[in-house]
Amino acid sequence: MTEVARAGSSRRTAEAARPGVPRWAVPASLALALVGLGLSAYLTVEHFTAPGSLACPVGGAVDCAQVTTSAQSKFFGIPVAVLGIVFFAAMLALCLPMLWQRRDRRLWQARLAVAGLGVLFVIYLIFAELFLIEAFCLWCTAVHLVAFGLFAVVVLASAMADPSPFDQR
Amino acid sequence: MAQTARSVARQRAERARQARERAARRARRIRTAWWVIAAGPAFVALLVLIRVAIPDEPVGDVASDRQLSSAVIAALRPEPSLLDSVGRGQGVTPPTAIADQPPLTADGKPLVLYVGAEYCPFCASQRWPLAIALSRFGSFTGLTASHSASDDVYPNTATISFHGSTYVSEYLAFQGVELATNKRQGRRYAPLDELTPEQEAVVNTYNAPPYTPYAGSIPFLDLGNRFLQTGASVSPELLVGLSHDEIAAEIVNNPSGPVAQAILGSANAFTAALCVLTDGQPGEVCDSPAAQAYQAEVGR
Repeated sequence: MTEVARAGSSRRTAEAARPGVPRWAVPASLALALVGLGLSAYLTVEHFTAPGSLACPVGGAVDCAQVTTSAQSKFFGIPVAVLGIVFFAAMLALCLPMLWQRRDRRLWQARLAVAGLGVLFVIYLIFAELFLIEAFCLWCTAVHLVAFGLFAVVVLASAMADPSPFDQR
Repeated sequence: MAQTARSVARQRAERARQARERAARRARRIRTAWWVIAAGPAFVALLVLIRVAIPDEPVGDVASDRQLSSAVIAALRPEPSLLDSVGRGQGVTPPTAIADQPPLTADGKPLVLYVGAEYCPFCASQRWPLAIALSRFGSFTGLTASHSASDDVYPNTATISFHGSTYVSEYLAFQGVELATNKRQGRRYAPLDELTPEQEAVVNTYNAPPYTPYAGSIPFLDLGNRFLQTGASVSPELLVGLSHDEIAAEIVNNPSGPVAQAILGSANAFTAALCVLTDGQPGEVCDSPAAQAYQAEVGR
């Protein structure tokens, strides 16, 4: 076998080992993770600089201050905006192009699990806005939409991957 | 030869079968993925529908109408010597001076505009020193006992309500707006007073950036467009667990205690600012040590 033939064969083997990720998956997931990270960073700054220590928010149903200074703005003492930063940072890492290309089933499962956890937490936050705080924050809603979008991208890309890491025996 | 050809054909058929199976698995995965993706928004839509379907609870008597005890009435007009002795007090956030704004007036007098709500614990702590300071320039009638909401931070903070009260003064005008009660009405607290268009214009201008980092927080206080305060001058934490009479007793009998230090110190800060509005009138108030305690902050 010539050198060229050997090189071609090993390239084909490597390509076959890579999961076939849809082209849009990598840029879409990276962009959404970055946008989510930015929004969470903004909400974290708002959380810590709000003048709410000696003031009550007042307003209509759309009231960011009421949401970001509510009891539900913390989860086990940690501001949910900070949890948002952690979530989107983790997703950003898991959605790096080199990691999308790895055919490690556990890695793909971890990406799906983290994205799913994010969506479950978002559903809890929406529940809190609807039934406990009874006000909405447009910035928070933007974060929720990004988390849903990221979950959709990750789930769909994982399903469409061909060959799929989940087909491994 | 024929055997080899059959073997190759079998391998091809096997590969084709595997490819079909793989494609079928992929199609199933994609279908499942769409269902999983749709489940989240569908669940949220269900939550929204449930929330919309829940009717707002009717609310009965919404206004605070409890009479103030004689002890509270006395504490709202403490002896001038008591205010003098407390001076700056402790734990006080004085109002912030603003420059070059058109004077806020009503009936030809400098106007003090307070906007708050009965549910708000920070408004609860703010009313005590404000009422004490204003009582040095005039007199209130119709003040009632109230408390902050039981389901907010610093629950049931004992206070007075400006709703329905009247203030008469030779020197100042006062408008106290309580936007909501401390009683739940469905998703919000039952509404109480409404801002007039003039008051709304003041709030929209001065209870918003750049004068305050956040728009629309309460309590909001505009002292004649010369001084502003968004948020309380005194923390409601000091009043937790105290009844109206206990707060009154702390003010009158324990001037070195944290409650009197904060409430009377804050009242002195307001007094100093109000003296700027009244050009130092009346002299017995504005020349007192109490009013001079915050002279540096108000620039008299």
